[in-house]
This record gives sequence, structure tokens and C-alpha cells, in this order.
Amino acid sequence: MRVVIAEDSVLLREGLARMLADEGFEIAAQVDNADALHHAVHREKPDVAIVDVRMPPTQTDEGARAAREIRAAHPEVGILLLSQVVEAKHALELFSEHPEGFGYLLKDRVLEIDDFLEAIRRVARGGTAIDPEVVAQLMGRRRTADPLAELSPREREVLALMAEGRSNQAICRKLFLSPKTVETHVHSIFLKLNLPPEADDHRRVLAVLAQLRSLEGG
Amino acid sequence: MRALRFALVPAAIALGVVAYRIQLDNLGAATTPARSLAIVAVAWAFVGAGLVAWARRPGNRLGPLLAAAGFALLLRQLRYSHDAGLFTVFFALSELSYALVAHSVLAYPSGRVVGRPERVLVRVGYASMLLFPLAILLVYDASRPLRFLDPTARDSLLLVWENGALAVNLQKAFVVFVWGVLASAFIFLVLRRLVRATPRARRILAPLLLAAVVFALRAVFECVFTFAERPSEILYVYLFWWQVAGFVALPLALLAGMLRARLARAGVAELVLELERAPPQGLRDALARALGDPTLEVALWLPERSEYVDASGRPVTLPDEGGARTVTLLEHEGEPVAAIVHDATLVDEPELLRASGAAARMALENARLQAEMRAQLAEVQRSRARIVAAADEERRRIERDLHDGAQQRLVALALELRTAQRRLGGSTDPELERILAASVDELQAAVDELRELARGVHPAILTEDGLAAALESLSSRTPVPVTVDACGDRLPPQVEATAYFVACEALANVVKHSGASAATVTALRRNGMLVIEVEDDGVGGAHADGGSGLRGLADRVEALGGRLRVVSPAGGGTRVVGEIPCAS
Repeated sequence: MRVVIAEDSVLLREGLARMLADEGFEIAAQVDNADALHHAVHREKPDVAIVDVRMPPTQTDEGARAAREIRAAHPEVGILLLSQVVEAKHALELFSEHPEGFGYLLKDRVLEIDDFLEAIRRVARGGTAIDPEVVAQLMGRRRTADPLAELSPREREVLALMAEGRSNQAICRKLFLSPKTVETHVHSIFLKLNLPPEADDHRRVLAVLAQLRSLEGG
Repeated sequence: MRALRFALVPAAIALGVVAYRIQLDNLGAATTPARSLAIVAVAWAFVGAGLVAWARRPGNRLGPLLAAAGFALLLRQLRYSHDAGLFTVFFALSELSYALVAHSVLAYPSGRVVGRPERVLVRVGYASMLLFPLAILLVYDASRPLRFLDPTARDSLLLVWENGALAVNLQKAFVVFVWGVLASAFIFLVLRRLVRATPRARRILAPLLLAAVVFALRAVFECVFTFAERPSEILYVYLFWWQVAGFVALPLALLAGMLRARLARAGVAELVLELERAPPQGLRDALARALGDPTLEVALWLPERSEYVDASGRPVTLPDEGGARTVTLLEHEGEPVAAIVHDATLVDEPELLRASGAAARMALENARLQAEMRAQLAEVQRSRARIVAAADEERRRIERDLHDGAQQRLVALALELRTAQRRLGGSTDPELERILAASVDELQAAVDELRELARGVHPAILTEDGLAAALESLSSRTPVPVTVDACGDRLPPQVEATAYFVACEALANVVKHSGASAATVTALRRNGMLVIEVEDDGVGGAHADGGSGLRGLADRVEALGGRLRVVSPAGGGTRVVGEIPCAS
């Protein structure tokens, strides 16, 4: 799998490259700004670009803007945005149009290497990776007449992992549950949230996000 | 000066007699005794008015100017002489008399010509009134009579090239330029000055209207009798006598207006009484009434700041010299106390201004102290706002530095350790494996803490997305359910930050002390204010100046010119309301 890394901190960029190389990824290019990122993606057509949100010159949201542009120009390239802080508002904006092949994670998620690698692969496959912090923010808000309140604690865990973009198998591994049990939970969650059952992981994320967002509005 | 003025009286009488005789002796049928006498009478009116004005206002140049115009009008008649020397000299100088009359009008009432266009007009007037006659004298053809001269020939001592046609054309050009162009400009400027004048000035400037009419009459007269093929004698007689009436009235009107501009001495006495009763703010009004200038302004001198301020302490720039507004400085023992900015026409009244200023000195001193205090207060207020802005900027910088510096390095370091751990695999020392894992966990915890710290210092989302987004984010991290209603407009950064921290502190108190089951946060704009309000349904009993941290926030809000209130009856919930000015 070929990746491009855009990160202006040399230390972190090198560390990330070394770790990914160790894990069998091919590092197609390492860059430290949005312009170079555009060129690298155009030239290398990587499977995934791992992009820091804050980059020179303004250190605000260059990475996020570059990500949007790349997705318009090269929809086949997966993008994994890394940020020092994650905000539910930003996530909802970023995922509102095309959640496919897109991820938005806190930077320190790289330390959970197995989860992180799985997120990269998921994004490369056209899947979604949403930071648990974002999901927690979305689910954590208490609302009047909250349909989430009807979920059992276990079901809430499963819902959170679904919202992050994980597949059933990944949820099984994460929670040490049998595929059968996870399927039962998923079915029950969709029933309680009044969602149509979705076979496809990507569309399932969309449905869950849409549901969480609609709760947001209400 | 007095002796000179007295000497000028007989001189004017004698010159008048000479001028009268010269006209009758030289012009023949072109004049009559009555007309000749009328012309002398006009000149005497100018001399007389000028000498009176000069005597009453020795410091004002208007008197000498009017007298000079009168003498020039007398001397002008000498050009009719058939003596070549007299003719040449006084023909050359004759038209300057009207330049002097125009100059007097433009210099009315202060004796100084005010305004750049006016000064240019005076200079161009003098130059053309002198140059045209001189040019005519160079080519004067004795056989071709000039306008207003009888047909008998005179000799120009300056003649270089006899050319009658050119002389006549030069005279026509002179009339077009001086009595067409310059006279129109003169009338325009005079009327414009009347229109623009303050009410007080307009009363005094009324004679200017007469001047405009008289010059218009003269211009029509000059043009008609230069260009009309066969001018009617009746018209000539009418225009001539109307001019005489106008030109006699003009110097008298200017004199009267100038003397009326002198203010009633009684005003000062009233001022003294009024100032005793008037508050400092009433000082300006009292002075304006006493000096008859409703546009008057008082500027107070602040020694330690070396600048003038108004009664509320705001800096005042004094107008430049030469404008319609003039400044009179009031001093006490060599130190400036105040400046009165007033209508330029008051300059004629230096004694009155000084007397009023002296009467007002105590009150001015008082007002100055108050203004000084207000100026200092305003400065303190500005400096508080600057401190808040600087502190916010510093917080933003710290937040950026934490994210881009320490946090970044810690993540990188943890990643190094993690990579090392992976490379070692499960094959090595389990103790080493445990140490590496624990180190990564510690670093991860440190990164989390740093992130929370940075958010507390200044959340990035506040800088990037504004108050509404930051409040949403804040509410989603608050354990108590919070409803947010915030306007999405971007506001000045210190306003956003202040409102955010008020909500932050209030929500922290809701969680810690209130036992509330729900809270609402609203941030809406009302009447140029951002109103941030946090309300809960908890136990109440909170105080703004308790150890709640709200005291510091109240200071912050007040530094921006706003205020913070806490309404918290025991058992009735708590409402924190911050109002922050946000004019935009």
C-alpha cells in the first residue's frame, strides 16, 4: 500500500514514515506543506494521503482545505486527516459530502498502531475513520427525548464503533464478541434508532452519522 | 499716526477740489458739474469712512485700506489732464482705485483677506489693473480717442509704437478680463462667504451684499459702454447715479458693520455672573452667548500631556491660522490655560476676548481639572482594553505553541518508543516491553493533559470558527445537558474570547455547585451589545464576587466597557448575564 505523508513537524513525519515502513507500507512521498502535497498526490497517485490539518503558512486549516481539493481532483485517493484537536462540528462538515475514503483522527491515535493501521487500510478501501472523541461528543450530548437513552451500554459501545467507521469484524475483535452477538446488537440498534438496515459498512456509517446529526439539530 | 490722519483730511479736501476742476476743465461735454461732484463725493465717502475706521480701530488695516481707495479714486481723475506727465502717470495708476475698493471689501471686517482664492483674486486684480493701462500707454494713438476720454488728443510719455487699433482692443480685453472675469469671481467669492458664514458672522457680513450689487452695477456699466454700438444716454444716466449711490453707501456700510461688530461690554459682566452659577459643561454655552458666537468651542490645555482637550477629555486639534475659525489663547502667569476657538470676525475684539477669558479663567481652570480627570479615565479604560487584548493574544500564542511545540514532540517521541517496542516484538525481555508500554501510556496521558490545558487557555475552535462553534463544543463537553443559542456572526476577538470565558466559568460553576439538571447558554446581539447569558435550574445562591472566578471575569467584561451581573436567589437557579459592547 502506498502512502503520502504531509506533516510539517519533521520529528513526527519521520517517525510516522519509519513506523509505516516497518509495517510494510510504501512511503511514496513525505512533504511539509499543502502545495507540495498537491504535487505529490498528483505525481504518485497514492492509496492514502495522511495529512496534518495545521500546516504552514497560516497554521490553521491548510490541511483540511488541501484535503477537500484533493478529494475533488482525485476521488480515488483516500485521505486521513490528523489533528491536535478534533471538533464534532469540523467532522460533520468534513464528512457531510463524501464520507467515502476519508478519515479524521486525533494525532495521538498513531500510538495505537494496530487501530491506526486498520484506519489507514479502511480509508484506502473507501471506508471511513472517525475519531472516537468526535463520536463521544456526538453521542455524549444529552437531549430531551433521547433515543440513545434506550440503548443498552453494550449497544452504545457498538454504536460508537460503527460511527467510527468500523466493520462488524473489527467490532468483534475490539469488543471480543462473536460475529453473531455483534450482528444481534447492530440489528437491535437499528431498530431502536428507527434506521433501515444497511448491509454496506460505508452506508451504515452515513446512516449513523445522519442520525446523530439529526439528534444534534433537535 | 493721529497727526497723519489729521493731515489727510485737508489733503482729501484739496485733492477733491482739484479732481473736480480737472474733470470740468478737460472733459468738456462728457461731464457735468453734478457728475464731477458726485465722483468726488464717492471718493470722499471712502476717505471719510476709512479715517473714522482707522481712528476707532488702529490695529485694523481696513481703515487705511478704505482711505487709500478714496485717495486713489480722487487721483484717478488726474488722468483727464491734458498735461502729458499727469496723463501718463495717472492713466497708468487709475484702475488701481477699484483694486483697492475690492481689496477693502475682501478684507472686511478684520483687515486681513481670508481664504486662498480671495488672496489670489486680490493679487491678480492689482496686477491686471496696473498692467493693462501700462500696455495701453505703450501703443496709445493720440488720434484715436479712448473710451471715457474726450476726443482731444493727449500724449503718452511711454509711447513706443503708435497703434490705435491695438490700444482700443487692449481696452476691450481689459474690460472683458477685469469687469467680466475678475468681477464675476469677486461677486461669487463674496456671496459664497455670505452663504457659508455662521449666523453671527452673517449679521456682520451684510455689507458684502451691497458690495456685490455695486460691483455688478459697475461691471454692467463698463461692459455696456465698451461694447454697445450706440449706448443710450438714459441708461448711462441711470447706471451712473445708481453707481454713485452704491459707492457712497459701500464705505459707510463697511464702517458701520465694522463698528457694530464691537460687542457690548455688558456681555462680560453678565458672563462673570453666569459663570458663577454655570456647571463646567455650561462654560462653553456662557462664553458663546457672551461673545455672540454660537459656534464657539473651548479647548482646555493639559500641561502634562501637552495637548488641548475638550470638556470630556478628548484631544482637540486647533484650526490653522487664516481660516474662518480663529484661536485665542488664554494664559495665566505665562502658562497656557485654554484656547477659545471662535469665528474669525471676533478677532476685532481682542480686549473683549481677553476680558471674557479673564472672567472665565477660574471656571476654565476648574473645567480643565475635570477634563484632565476624564482624559485620564479614558486612558485607563483604553489601557485596560489593551491589556485584555494583549492577554488574549498571549493566550492564543500559548495555545498554538502547546499544539505545535510540546504536544507535537511528545506524540513524536511516543511514536518512536512505540516503533521501538514493535521492532523488539514479543521476543525480548518482558520487563523492557512493559517499561516501553508504560512510557507510551504516560506520554499519551501527558498529550491528553496538554490538549485539555491548551483548550482551557484558548480553544482553537474559538479562533477558527468563532463564538457559536466554541460554545457548541463547550456544551458537548459539559456533563450537564446544555442548550446553546448563539448568533453565528464573527465578532472582535476580545469580545468573543470574553463571552466564551464567561460561559466557560459559568458552566463550570453549574457543574460544580448548582446541582442543576439542565442549563442554557445564549449569546445574542442586542443594541450594539453582545449579551452572553448562562442560566441553570440549580440551587442558586451564587455571588459575583465570591471565589467563583466570576470576579476576574467581571473585570474583564468591564475592561471592554461592559458589565457582568449574577442573579442567583437561593433555590431559584442562577443566571449570569454579561453585556459586552461590540459595535460593528
